[in-house]
Amino acid sequence: MIDVQNVSKSYGAVEAVKDVSFTVEQGEILGFLGPNGAGKTTMMKMITCYMPPTGGKITVDGLDVVNDSMGVRKKIGYLPESTPLYEEMGVRDYLNFIADVRKVNGADRTRAMDRVISVTGLAKVIHKDIHELSKGFRQRVGFAQAIIHDPEILVLDEPTTGLDPNQIIEIRNLIRQLGESKTIIFSTHIMQEVQATSDRVLIIDQGKIAAQGTAEELKASIAGQMHLNMVLRHADKSKFIEVVTAMDQLHMEDIKVQKNGDIEAALIIDAGADLREQLFDLAVSNQWKILESSPSSFTLEDVFRKLTN
Amino acid sequence: MSEILAIYRKEMKTYFNSPIAFIVISSFLVITNWLFFDYGDYPFFAINIADIRGIFDYGAIVLLFIAPAVSMRLISEEKHQDTLELLVTMPITDMQIIIGKYLSTLVIFAIILAGTLIAPISISFVGDLDSGIVISSYIGFFFLGATYLAMGLAASSFTRNQIIAYIVGIVIIAVFFLMNGMANGSGMIATLFENLSIRFHYQNFFRGVLDTRDLIYFISLIFVSLLVSSTALASRKSK
Repeated sequence: MIDVQNVSKSYGAVEAVKDVSFTVEQGEILGFLGPNGAGKTTMMKMITCYMPPTGGKITVDGLDVVNDSMGVRKKIGYLPESTPLYEEMGVRDYLNFIADVRKVNGADRTRAMDRVISVTGLAKVIHKDIHELSKGFRQRVGFAQAIIHDPEILVLDEPTTGLDPNQIIEIRNLIRQLGESKTIIFSTHIMQEVQATSDRVLIIDQGKIAAQGTAEELKASIAGQMHLNMVLRHADKSKFIEVVTAMDQLHMEDIKVQKNGDIEAALIIDAGADLREQLFDLAVSNQWKILESSPSSFTLEDVFRKLTN
Repeated sequence: MSEILAIYRKEMKTYFNSPIAFIVISSFLVITNWLFFDYGDYPFFAINIADIRGIFDYGAIVLLFIAPAVSMRLISEEKHQDTLELLVTMPITDMQIIIGKYLSTLVIFAIILAGTLIAPISISFVGDLDSGIVISSYIGFFFLGATYLAMGLAASSFTRNQIIAYIVGIVIIAVFFLMNGMANGSGMIATLFENLSIRFHYQNFFRGVLDTRDLIYFISLIFVSLLVSSTALASRKSK
């Protein structure tokens, strides 16, 4: 549905996007994950025909974003970052204006208005002016304008930024619901968000793709490493460090001595390693008492930090 | 065409949902009529001659300050609220956006023009007005205002700050208006400046004659201003 090939974008001497290629299949929800300033917004501005790439080619449903810009724009619904809206307009007037420009007229208009109002839950505020709305409702108005022409593709730039936890969940549900029938690209810098909503994740950092795949695939790309948090009593810090460094598949991440003298260590275990017996024997031979030993798998957040640092 | 009308309707709603339209129209009419009827060395009531030229003389100056106030928000506010990004990613060309917005300011100006009719209508009851001159003067005044508004729109398309758009708009208009005074004598440069100046072409309308050269002059200025505005919108593409 969306095909991005070797795309670059420079602002003067600054290269915001460097030779990026990826595709989005029809009906897929793709999460763009990256730290602020990674090039996510730039990428979206190019897909939505706001500005052309300086190199490479983007096609949307076979149409080129530069040569067939009008055709592409008709297929896309776009919610730019921070949801720009005409503050002084009424909600209904605003949606009517968008429908006007998008040429959704007559009976289609009535149906489209009813549909977007019910999907985005705007009925309560439809007669208000936009500047009177809360952040959550503003976001819904932004969604409503993006789907009023029932586009095949939705491009959403950080749709949950600035919302409270309840609103975030509402918006995520909305994305999932719309994703049942549409192709969606959305960006975020929050890990849980992509995990919660997208079929596939594309991690972008410093203008390049750092990794892509499903959330599970990305976690597996860290090759099944595990965290292990241990608390030991009657252990000596330097001795413990020495022992751990001597072991093959175990790595020290952090170590702290608690007030009562207990040692708290954060360790990383290599993929496939089973060190349970070894660690038990080690503790026994050194007369350490294991108070706590809790393994945990890597989260997408770890993947993200590892890839974007 | 329907895209242009969509933009036009939106702008009209904005003008009339807020006090902008009312303030702009009424200030122009109050100030201009006051200057015409009751100010200066030859106020209308004192000289007792059925001539409404004063309306257009004073009007040209008052409009210099009013027209940029009408057009200053057109693009700069879209930039300031970041709504421009959404607008230019919808299936509408940059030129359609510009024309739709420009059209709305022309309608505001048409209301102003209608408001000034009070003077010729009331005067025609008490004296003999040369209707030919009145009509040609009105045509001149319309083109003058249309040019001011187009220049104000161009100024608005370069900045996200309305105050800057307003001041720059006034400066651009003033430079074109006063250009004939910039070079003295009868040399080539003086003739060129004179022919480029708004005031020179504007005055011709008061003789009751419509000269195509004057019309072409104003239409070209409008066309260039709209082209500049549209180019300014498109500059996002080459950043």
